[in-house]
Amino acid sequence: MDKNVIPVGPYHPLLEEAEYFTLKVDGETVVDVDLEIGWMHRGHEFISEGKTFTQSIFLVERICGICSTSHPLAFVHAVEDVDNIEIPLRARYVRTLIGELERIHSHLLWLGLAGHFIGYDTLWMWAWKYREPVLQMFEIISGNRNHYGIMRVGGVAKDVNPEKVKPLHDVLDDIEKKTNMIAKAAKDDPVLKSRLKGVGILSKQEAVDYCAVGPTARASGVHIDVRKDEPKDAYDLVEFTEIVTENGDVFDKTVVRLLEIFESIKICRQCLNKLSVSNGSIINKVKEISEGEGIGRYEAPRGEVFHYVRTDGTNRPVRHKVRAPSYVNIPTFKASCKGIPIADALITLAAVDPCYCCTERSLKLVDKNDNSFTLDLLELSREKTEKIRRSI
Amino acid sequence: MDNSQEFISEMDDKIGKIIEKPRRLFFDAENENILEVAEHLFKKMGCRLSTATAQETYRGIEVLYHFSEDKTGSYYCPRIVMKDKSNPKMNSISSVVKGAEWIEREMMEMLGITFDGHPHPEPLLTGNHPKEIKTPWRFNTNVQLRGRNNG
Repeated sequence: MDKNVIPVGPYHPLLEEAEYFTLKVDGETVVDVDLEIGWMHRGHEFISEGKTFTQSIFLVERICGICSTSHPLAFVHAVEDVDNIEIPLRARYVRTLIGELERIHSHLLWLGLAGHFIGYDTLWMWAWKYREPVLQMFEIISGNRNHYGIMRVGGVAKDVNPEKVKPLHDVLDDIEKKTNMIAKAAKDDPVLKSRLKGVGILSKQEAVDYCAVGPTARASGVHIDVRKDEPKDAYDLVEFTEIVTENGDVFDKTVVRLLEIFESIKICRQCLNKLSVSNGSIINKVKEISEGEGIGRYEAPRGEVFHYVRTDGTNRPVRHKVRAPSYVNIPTFKASCKGIPIADALITLAAVDPCYCCTERSLKLVDKNDNSFTLDLLELSREKTEKIRRSI
Repeated sequence: MDNSQEFISEMDDKIGKIIEKPRRLFFDAENENILEVAEHLFKKMGCRLSTATAQETYRGIEVLYHFSEDKTGSYYCPRIVMKDKSNPKMNSISSVVKGAEWIEREMMEMLGITFDGHPHPEPLLTGNHPKEIKTPWRFNTNVQLRGRNNG
């Protein structure tokens, strides 16, 4: 039987960052996926090499609107790694607090989108509603809801006022309560289980082969978490559990993210407690970065963000390499999409959290007889959920 | 505690100049040894490839792979220098590490490096570019890119 081809992208509701997937299908089944990137190459590495270390922090903050802590944090880790620069204890807690708040809002955002893709719009609205207080917490701490401008080589630029600790604790309590409600509702929903369990499986060996990171790898049983493997900032001072599951399907990826929200809340509470009772400097003045090489990384919500800098003793890098987690997670589609129905392709592609937007667009296809028809993956996915719901 | 000393003693004849830092090991490797070094790091030691960095230096075109040993939080970074800037060429490690496929394709476009033995040596970023891309993006040279447009 001839294989048909379904193009997804380069500008598609599924993909906020423009990427282009070609699903090769045999009847209703996906048999292969081709991936193409490079539709919005912005030259960040090249631009960074013309900026000072402090200027580059603002640049890398804008690589991703969701991970606007992870990139600057990995970058300052890389610069600090050149000279093994120590940072003050208080700064370590502030960095960890901001990083974990980012994880909470990113996972809630993903949860909402995943719900939307499979026809659970209530889940989408709940998750995004409960994400809003996290953004307000950012505003309380840094003055900005996004792009916090808080990281610096040697520490942080803004402190957490002890007077703000109590209201921040209250918001965290509320988020925990609401996330608990979502988790219970999701756990008890038979339709959700039939829709996500056993779908888009990425085996442990495949995750290792593709060098996958973050929840994508952890849901397949791979123990990889930069916060545990190379604990920087306050990660060796706080208690938390690395969430790892074994099945590698979309359900497990959801479970990993949901449970990580609770772990992040736990970490945030510990940081806030320390910040409320301790004092001290938030930055060590760095006078010079010597010639050398440094590697910095941080466990972003989507997985390890990697930055490499090479320095020549001036105030800017001569080489700056950036690798975001989606760069290694997206190629796993070649393994996880094979053999699944087209209706499951959307949620499988979504499960690695490769950044989405809410714009909706349908595809126009032409068959052998030049008859055109439209195919909307989102609609297909939601129809499948509806069918399961009616049959239960 | 990382395994860098054990790695150095086991691969002593395969690696060159070493720069050691806490949890970081940067070392030179010859092109003919890179597959063996990658295999040792990826399969024997269980390292994961984070990515690779390519750069033009005085010595030549340089490729630096970043292997992360997650259980110890250490990095092992083999460095290959291609002295012939007019025809930078080296062995691909993608046959050993599937995760290297994309970054090697990107380095082909950025610095015009030919990776021998790469399973899919087509452009990653410029496959559908409206203009014909003939020379590397980050290397001022007349090196002709391989790929769909240029044969």
